[in-house]
Amino acid sequence: MTNGTGRRLLSVGDSSAQESDEQRIFMNGKHLLLKALKERKVKFLFGYTGGAIMPVFDEMEKVGQFEFVMARHEQGAAFMAQGLSRASLSTKTPQIGVCMTTSGPGAMNLVTGIADAHMDSVPMLAITGQVATGVIATDAFQESDVVGVMMPICKQTYMPLAAEDVEKTVHEACYVATTGRGGPVVIDLPKDVQNQQVADDYKFDAKTFRPHLPGYFYTPTPERDPVRKAIELINKSERPLIFCGHGVINSNAGELLQKFVEKVNIPVAFTFHGLSAFAADHPMNLGMMGMHGTVEANRAIMEADLLIALGMRFDDRVTGKLDEYAQNADVIHVDIDSSEMHKNVRATVAINADVYRTLHVLMGDPMVTCTPRRRWWDKLNSFREVMKEDLQEEIEVGVGSDNKLLMKGIIHRLSEVTGGKDLIVPDVGQHQMMSARFYNFQTRNSWFASGGAGTMGCSLPMAIGVKLARPKERVWSISGDGGFQMNMQELGTIMEKQIDVKIIVLNNGYLGMVRQWQTFFFDGRYAGTPMKSPDFSLIAAAYGIPYRKVELLDEVEPALKEAMACDGAMILEFICDPAEVILPMIPAGGGFGEMMTRHPNAPEKNQPKQGEAA
Amino acid sequence: MKRRAILAFTLDHPGVLNKISSLIRKKMYNVDTLTVCRSRIPGVSRMTITLRENDQERVDQVTRQLEKFTEVISVKELDTDHSYWREVAIVKLEIEASVLESFHGRYNFEILEQKSDDIHIVQVAGSTRRIDAFLDEVGQQHVVEIARTGVTAMEK
Repeated sequence: MTNGTGRRLLSVGDSSAQESDEQRIFMNGKHLLLKALKERKVKFLFGYTGGAIMPVFDEMEKVGQFEFVMARHEQGAAFMAQGLSRASLSTKTPQIGVCMTTSGPGAMNLVTGIADAHMDSVPMLAITGQVATGVIATDAFQESDVVGVMMPICKQTYMPLAAEDVEKTVHEACYVATTGRGGPVVIDLPKDVQNQQVADDYKFDAKTFRPHLPGYFYTPTPERDPVRKAIELINKSERPLIFCGHGVINSNAGELLQKFVEKVNIPVAFTFHGLSAFAADHPMNLGMMGMHGTVEANRAIMEADLLIALGMRFDDRVTGKLDEYAQNADVIHVDIDSSEMHKNVRATVAINADVYRTLHVLMGDPMVTCTPRRRWWDKLNSFREVMKEDLQEEIEVGVGSDNKLLMKGIIHRLSEVTGGKDLIVPDVGQHQMMSARFYNFQTRNSWFASGGAGTMGCSLPMAIGVKLARPKERVWSISGDGGFQMNMQELGTIMEKQIDVKIIVLNNGYLGMVRQWQTFFFDGRYAGTPMKSPDFSLIAAAYGIPYRKVELLDEVEPALKEAMACDGAMILEFICDPAEVILPMIPAGGGFGEMMTRHPNAPEKNQPKQGEAA
Repeated sequence: MKRRAILAFTLDHPGVLNKISSLIRKKMYNVDTLTVCRSRIPGVSRMTITLRENDQERVDQVTRQLEKFTEVISVKELDTDHSYWREVAIVKLEIEASVLESFHGRYNFEILEQKSDDIHIVQVAGSTRRIDAFLDEVGQQHVVEIARTGVTAMEK
């Protein structure tokens, strides 16, 4: 430990003034900050320097053990950190994403990325410089009340006021961010504390350090009693349905879940963040549920007599109208966060525990029985047929009005040429739902998106973090023309760091999802949604990134293959049909009975299917 | 609306009060009263929050979300039947000493100071309702100034 060495040298230093001075330089706030990050296995620092964080950057240069990735806007750094945390959690070396910015505007530009991580339970650490303690709360240059702003949108905030507190704060912050339900943590570090020397008798041992947190609870192991009740419900149920949420991904329980459902013969519906926990074409996989979920997943929820919710929070995009939601079903709710219990949906059995451990217990319990449930499966298989033909036709035809490309066709072809094995980082909007629905996920933890917050512009920077965490896998950033332009500046990072991200821009000239709502619910008045884009070929050229524009269906596959063969990043722009919609759709605040499976303006056809589609 | 008292033990750290009041605001409540004091354990504060809500589910959610804060050690709702809710009021009254005298024995109050023949500063302790009753009986027109602590509560 450098601690011990440092102390010894400090005392020895009495005989050699020079040595002592050198050693003392190392024992200041900025050095201890970096030392703690190193001990936490942090390799990448995403960020942007500035006045109040300069000492830490300077020290980073001296220490030389970190790879600094300069974002072009602090929001980009926050999303890169998210991408790293999320993609690495299923690897052998999970890392916490760290972003580092200066005070005031630097810190404020992180807000959206941090709020996004908070909504999606993503562990990350944001380190912001702060003005010196002597001038805090005097409206000093580039001063903002960072702790005050961040408090409601992150898991915990810290402001160490002495160099002695820095190291333990970093360790505690990482512990809080990564345990229980993950979340972003902010450390706001005043400039004078960065430079402050610790007292001569300073001692800290990261190996033996345990944060003193008497109010921080999480209970990974399920209690026996609710598990017993859950097993009774499972055995009694005729039409059970498992929900696979983000908690399955976060606890690396995908493989175990697959084994469990194969053992007990229960179908699985996925939340948006649960996708990619196991193969999308697995026979027990009903696909995504909720507003734009599959017919089979949503109908199954309406008909089920038991819902087994694993690591999810019954978001409004999942439930629709709450008082019509799963009225006849018992609910087993497994979540690590006890405050999620009974929040939106009353649980019959609440298991406040880690999903992996709960599945492990259920898997090993001989009381759990398996029944064929033939009538249930027959029903589910009939739901699978409801939209199948229409979707297949759309995908095969691949073009819509004016012969412009359909997004679902492009995503389907991407899925085909990549074998569903690549890592997908969508932005927010129609193309995101298309990606969720039509990519045939085969790799565990291969889907990284902004869910709860729905932050446009997240894709490009998040894909950078994902690529750094999983360098051997191919990463696709898929954006619309709107979202792409929200963080387009991060092409600079891709250029500078030679990051191999394949970038797809699905350009339909509109903010597609809002346009869809305007088509359905606002009589087709397209207020604020048409959008003129720059010549993306010139943008790509400016950053020295290969580019191809695709307008014809025949060119789609060759272009995708060209990007795959390309050594490094490539931008593919697809000109898409703005009239395309993502269906089914449950209108916001509507019940599952109101699910739209056909475009309201579509010409009538296939009369017999009308009953199904109602 | 039913009045609720929530008891919370928290770490005595800066920002905890901010977090708790922010959560209550986010949940769209107006804090009725909020009192904070030291507890028996060094470094641990004791908070009593009162707010108005009929729906038990919503109150349960507030307590669960309060408990989720890293600095909050434990939270409990105290119901009126099984706990004492008390507050203290300091009241400056313009009232004849003899009139004030007639309240002795019926209300728990203490005259802190008699500033002149008819100006008294008194301290009244008791339940919110009891203090209200005292003020009503004295007559609001006699009250010059009033300071109330807000409720603190303890389980029986």
